[in-house]
Amino acid sequence: MSTTLNVIVKDVEQVTEVVKHFTFVQENGEALPRFSGGSHVVVSMNINGRIHRNPYSLMGSTANTDSYHISVRKQENSRGGSVFMHEQVESGSKLQITYPVNLFAISKMGRRHILIAGGIGITPFMSQISDLNRLGFDYELHYAYRSPEHAAFREQLEEMCGDRVHFYIDSEGSRLDLNGLMSNQPLGTHVYTCGPEPMVKAVHLTGKTLGWPDNHVHSEEFTAPPIGDQFTVELLQSGIEVTVPGDMSMLEAMEEAGAEPPFLCRGGACGRCELEVVSCDGVIMHNDHYLSDHEKAEGRSIMPCVSRAKCSKLVVNL
Amino acid sequence: MERGYWIRSKPLYDSLVWRQQATGHMVIAKGEGGIAVLKLFQQMCPREPIKLLFTDEGTAPKKYADIIKTLVPEGLQVLESEQAVLAALREQLPDCLMGTQFYVAGTEAFIWAVLDELKKYGVQDRNVEKELSGTLARSVYCVHCKTIDKDVHYNIHQCSGCQRHLFVRDHFSRRLGAYMGVMVDAEIPGDIPAKEEIYP
Repeated sequence: MSTTLNVIVKDVEQVTEVVKHFTFVQENGEALPRFSGGSHVVVSMNINGRIHRNPYSLMGSTANTDSYHISVRKQENSRGGSVFMHEQVESGSKLQITYPVNLFAISKMGRRHILIAGGIGITPFMSQISDLNRLGFDYELHYAYRSPEHAAFREQLEEMCGDRVHFYIDSEGSRLDLNGLMSNQPLGTHVYTCGPEPMVKAVHLTGKTLGWPDNHVHSEEFTAPPIGDQFTVELLQSGIEVTVPGDMSMLEAMEEAGAEPPFLCRGGACGRCELEVVSCDGVIMHNDHYLSDHEKAEGRSIMPCVSRAKCSKLVVNL
Repeated sequence: MERGYWIRSKPLYDSLVWRQQATGHMVIAKGEGGIAVLKLFQQMCPREPIKLLFTDEGTAPKKYADIIKTLVPEGLQVLESEQAVLAALREQLPDCLMGTQFYVAGTEAFIWAVLDELKKYGVQDRNVEKELSGTLARSVYCVHCKTIDKDVHYNIHQCSGCQRHLFVRDHFSRRLGAYMGVMVDAEIPGDIPAKEEIYP
């Protein structure tokens, strides 16, 4: 099981209409563990008796261990994690978070680094930039957002990046020309992207078309577990049967039933929670970014943090 | 020779095949690697610009430069030595863009000398097409005195640095471009098995 840190919210700041910035310090007053740029933590929230756990990128300087910083965009029509952070969490609130984990680190082999952010996808880059500045690496940040009111952290980025940052404001018609950007980069360039799914897909597709090696194109997408139909999971080894309600993830339901399945990111990115599917009398709804299309089609594995099934009974080897 | 297990560090080589998605192509070959180049140019050529650096230097019984000249009209540089090829490569790499595909053919020592130049420009060896040509001769790194001997054909090799008899292993260093050589008679001094030519 991941070890947890007990933190107190020291400060909450409304950054834009939909984004809030939270500062955490450790409850016991000690320094927090060091982390590398691109790391995230998983925040536990007790919402009406149910434990929700959402991953958020750490966005402070990697040199600072006095406090951790995350930003949360309020997602309408979601299961309530971000709404809880916005409406219930205030200065002085106590929360539990996991130790930082990095699934989105800067490649030290790279000679140049292109960061492409869309909207709230800017958050992992805030800590990556502090690493890039410290290492003296060659980088550029391209940050696209909807309209001037959504320009979260623009001033801070201008200060951190100087002329390395470029802004694209959708409502003003300025668009990032991905093909133009990626077709004119020297050898050894790596590209990193975080943001809405169509943007992430476009970056991968552009890289593929231009002949970039796969391992030079990095992305991070955390998915919130989608709402679906109720189904039953049987844990073969422990002999437990768990009912997964429509508004709960399979991982959360198993935890609530007392099982201790492994997990790390809880956003379908890392692959830690992968479970072997023994049988399923319906269809698995894969929502992760970890399994290949081929593996998803085979249906022998499931990522219970974000994926679920449309069936009456799913049996997993746990 | 040991069978039935898999040394992950041992490089795998393939036949050169043009990559479909690219902004340009650069082929670098030496000696018997000329055959790999000729096979490559018998395939349908890609539309993107192609550059080819070639040298006949080496022990190859046949010279390929003249045949290659008839097949490759543009972008070909025939050079007199491996060193000249590496120097030409160093000159051209700063102008190469992401999406340039690299193809290397020749002896293992040549392949890893090229990959060492590419690495300085952030090109990782796993993203390069490689074809081993002509000989299976190995470079061997003595783990005792750190000498690297080139063109080793036998499974037991006497190190030119410390005179120890080394067993040539399959463990390969990408940084050094050489296989690990370990003293073969460390347990029983003087007990040296007969050497076999398994890397002709």
